[in-house]
Amino acid sequence: MIITRSWLNNFLDISEVSDDTLYKTLNAIGLEVDSIINYTIPEKVIVGKVVSCEKHPDADKLNVCQIDLGAGIVRQIVCGAANVVHAEYVAVATIGAKLGDDFEIKHAKLRGVESEGMVCSSSELGLPDMGNGIMILDDSIGELVIGKELNEYTKLADTLIEIELTANRGDCLSIYGVARDLSAALNIPMKEFDYESKSQAKIGLARVARLTTEGNVNASLEYIMANISELKTSLLFTLRLSLLNELSEDTLANIIKYITHTTGVIVNAYDVSNVELGDEMITINAKNVNDTIEISVNDKPCALLGIKQKEECKATEKSTQVLFQASYMEPEQLVDVVSEQKLETDEYYYNTSRGSEPNLCFAISYLTYLFEVYYDSTLFDGTLTLEQESSKKIIAISVEEISGIIGNDIPTTQMTNILKSLNFGVQSMGENKFGIIVPEYRHDIENIQDIAEEIVRIIGIDNIEAHALKFVEKNRQNSTMQKYYAKKELRSRAVAAGFDESVSYAFTDKSLLEKYSLPVVDEAYDIINPITNDFNTLRTTIAINLLQAAQRNVHYSKKSTALFEVGTIFSKKREEKEVFALIYTGQKDSENVSNAGKPANMDFETFVKKVSAIVGNFELRASTESNELLHPYQSADIVMDNRVCGYLSKVHPSVTDAFDLKETFIAEIDFEALVPQHINAHSISKFQGVYKDLSFVMDKNIPYNQVSLCIEALELPLLKKFYAVDVYEDEALGENKSLSLRLFIQSLEDTLKDEEIEMTVHSIIEKLQEEYGASLR
Amino acid sequence: METLEQQINGTNSLAELEKVRIELFGKKGALAQEFAKLKDVPGPEKKAFAEGLNKKKAALQASFDERYETLKKEEIEKLLKSEAIDVSLYGNLEQKGAYHPVMATMDKIIDYFVALNFSIEDGPKVEDDFHNFEALNLPKNHPAREMQDTFFCKDGAVLRTHTSPVQIRTMLQQKPPIRMIAPGAVFRKDYDLTHTPMFHQIEGLVVDKKGEISFANLKAVMSDFLRHMFGDVEVRFRPSFFPFTEPSSEVDISCIFCKGDGCRVCSHTGWLEVLGCGIVDPNVFDAVEYKDVSGYAFGLGVERFAMLLHEIPDLRMLFEGDTRLLEQFR
Repeated sequence: MIITRSWLNNFLDISEVSDDTLYKTLNAIGLEVDSIINYTIPEKVIVGKVVSCEKHPDADKLNVCQIDLGAGIVRQIVCGAANVVHAEYVAVATIGAKLGDDFEIKHAKLRGVESEGMVCSSSELGLPDMGNGIMILDDSIGELVIGKELNEYTKLADTLIEIELTANRGDCLSIYGVARDLSAALNIPMKEFDYESKSQAKIGLARVARLTTEGNVNASLEYIMANISELKTSLLFTLRLSLLNELSEDTLANIIKYITHTTGVIVNAYDVSNVELGDEMITINAKNVNDTIEISVNDKPCALLGIKQKEECKATEKSTQVLFQASYMEPEQLVDVVSEQKLETDEYYYNTSRGSEPNLCFAISYLTYLFEVYYDSTLFDGTLTLEQESSKKIIAISVEEISGIIGNDIPTTQMTNILKSLNFGVQSMGENKFGIIVPEYRHDIENIQDIAEEIVRIIGIDNIEAHALKFVEKNRQNSTMQKYYAKKELRSRAVAAGFDESVSYAFTDKSLLEKYSLPVVDEAYDIINPITNDFNTLRTTIAINLLQAAQRNVHYSKKSTALFEVGTIFSKKREEKEVFALIYTGQKDSENVSNAGKPANMDFETFVKKVSAIVGNFELRASTESNELLHPYQSADIVMDNRVCGYLSKVHPSVTDAFDLKETFIAEIDFEALVPQHINAHSISKFQGVYKDLSFVMDKNIPYNQVSLCIEALELPLLKKFYAVDVYEDEALGENKSLSLRLFIQSLEDTLKDEEIEMTVHSIIEKLQEEYGASLR
Repeated sequence: METLEQQINGTNSLAELEKVRIELFGKKGALAQEFAKLKDVPGPEKKAFAEGLNKKKAALQASFDERYETLKKEEIEKLLKSEAIDVSLYGNLEQKGAYHPVMATMDKIIDYFVALNFSIEDGPKVEDDFHNFEALNLPKNHPAREMQDTFFCKDGAVLRTHTSPVQIRTMLQQKPPIRMIAPGAVFRKDYDLTHTPMFHQIEGLVVDKKGEISFANLKAVMSDFLRHMFGDVEVRFRPSFFPFTEPSSEVDISCIFCKGDGCRVCSHTGWLEVLGCGIVDPNVFDAVEYKDVSGYAFGLGVERFAMLLHEIPDLRMLFEGDTRLLEQFR
């Protein structure tokens, strides 16, 4: 919403209010100021009157003008703009005027002709561009006095204020509306607009036109009609509409835009130039069609009220007879039908859906004033109106309750005065209780808290004393908090292990998921309005995001990148899950003297060590994943507490190629599996234990974890732990390998006896022989 | 004897000295040979001869010990020298990683509210219309919905546009008094210099009996929180509009870069908008069927806080795993 000082001044005398106060007050009452622009016209730019204009003898495009600068001074100025020929009053930058940091007007000779000044265009004066040529002055900016400094015209040298209006304040979508709100805050009375038609028109509108309704027409309508001979847009309108960036080609459209922006009332103009006048020759019908209100003029459907006017029904500057319509509908009526019936809307729907100004008389008298006084048009006598039955909104409040919401005691008189200044009706309903009648234009006021807000914004939140809250405490350390701290701990360990934390979008590129045979969220559950194709699906893995991040870092010449992320992924059925994901690409150490600047690239073992340092112990089993990101022979399922909770893998070389990466390793683990569990201590043996090494020859395709599962299944009480210490293959072994295990045997109750050790060892040998045909080496 | 002395002092290593020791003090060494002569010395001279020999032995032993000490010192010195390295080459062989500045900022914010005994609550990223909009006083077709460009799923679900639905979930699952924050990722269909399709918010909600919680309380906690985060700043409250709070306010801090004088970051206003808050709208309590309660709520964008706190110039960079940025926070 754009307002200007001089425009506001139409309705509110703010001549004594500084820009700073205006800025602070607007912010304080909830009309957030986005920007303030002061238009200042340079000194020595004055009003000049063109006395004569002749073609330059030596240049087709130049005119030699004699311009009256007041006080009997007439200067010759050469001007290149074609429209100077039709100009009377112009802005003249006289000798010495500075139009920019290094642009000072001096005596000049243009193709041999003396020129003492410059006739200016709007943009040359720092004003918005208002079309081709020079700016032609007219008295819409104030009485034109030849020789007067242009900067003294406050309608030209204006202050523009852009307000970022919140969606609830449709009532402030006009200059009048903002003035009304400011009036309460600044305690300055409104200058209400009033104009009585002086038209001597002989024909009454009701004679030539008729307004009818069909069905439930819940709207207010008011019509006037004018015969228009010639329209022109005044400088003021042109300037102000340019400030709004709303200047259109059509003069009538400009006038309507101007009226709506000024009054807040929605105005439409219908072209009835071709209708011969006679008794009730113009029929206007308002009809309920599927809960919208269709306006037909002479049986031709022309508009859906508050939604859209058909282009072909719009009056233009060429129309000679124009029917003007001011209208109001409650916004709630509009938004549902528009959305449900997917109706096309025009530029004014923004206003109607937020609540336009219901005071139709205001716009009608403003229109009448403009057309009679400025455009010398003839208006038909009277109006055609349809008034909506409006039930007044009344909200019961008590002073205590409002004070309670605010948290400070607000005196009753202050409260009622504020509400009255905002045009709320105040009816006493007993001691400190009131019925508050909401003005029709305040669509946003529904309940007592809305009333509290009105009080708060006029008092100013800065003037409300802060009070600490007293609260009955209870233990709020819930499982979500525990998980948060577990996550923080995990992140801290990942950081300690040299990984940088990454945050990536929960989206990815579906084609990449498909390319690598990764799961994809079922179409029935996926997003339908992605922002770009790179993010066109909910991700089912963080791997792609991390590979892309690694790729970017390679492009920034990083020789290694280690990243981790704790983030959300989605299943095919769109169930959410948090995972801890890591990627390591490139050199496994920094380049330094101990590796002669040539560190080896990351390998499986080092990556596993790094991951273990972060998440603790886990078991690796040959991978059961079947996607094409993974290296088929260096990928594993991560098993914790006998549950597969993630994977760890070298990235497939074709993938690293595609992402411009060197050796890359990746892991993703369910975050849930990493939340620390409660631990109970077990008893510690006081007796000495023994280590025993056993070497088996067995089929080389049997992975270690099968062997270990098999031994664990024996549940040998004395076997405290065991682990692989050597794997050996050679030609002599053929399809077999030699696997050496180290056992640690210890008893809780007693010193070990030889036969106990023998028993334990024997059980293992027997079991492995039975299961895998393994023999002792 | 001088030559024996010279022999000791002429040694250049512990090994040489050991050799000399054996030659002198060994069973067949020079001293032993001298002592062997004792038996041939006539009786009366024996005592003096023995005394002389013992003296000589003691003197030699002292020379030996002295030489040993010297050589031992030299030997250690040599060993140490041989182990000399340029320690300055070994700085920073390993790097620790870095917390993501947005996550670190989120941690700092969470720590503040946990210290005030707020609980942490969570909710799904994919929400239904009821929790994300309807219950938050954002009825269908309400113009305020346009404030938030929404990602829709084919089945009608939405990606949550704010963390506010967690308010609703918490109120439905628990009973007042409630005092919670909900940190997490949110999604809006917006992608330019200052918007990313995903970002992080922290939502806060406090609910107690009717009349217990006022705007003045909200003002107190927000002011304190912002000073905790940004140091000695001025805090300004401006009335604003959010469908789920009434009265609502946007909260600004005096610009931390120009101290309020006006600069590029604050668009020359001297103020930085940092969060939104307000008294919970009665329609929200109606939606969760809470009666006779009052409450306040607030919400803030974590990226905005992180960017201000750490002077991070580019929002989008935060989502690219760009280690040029991240490693600065190690």
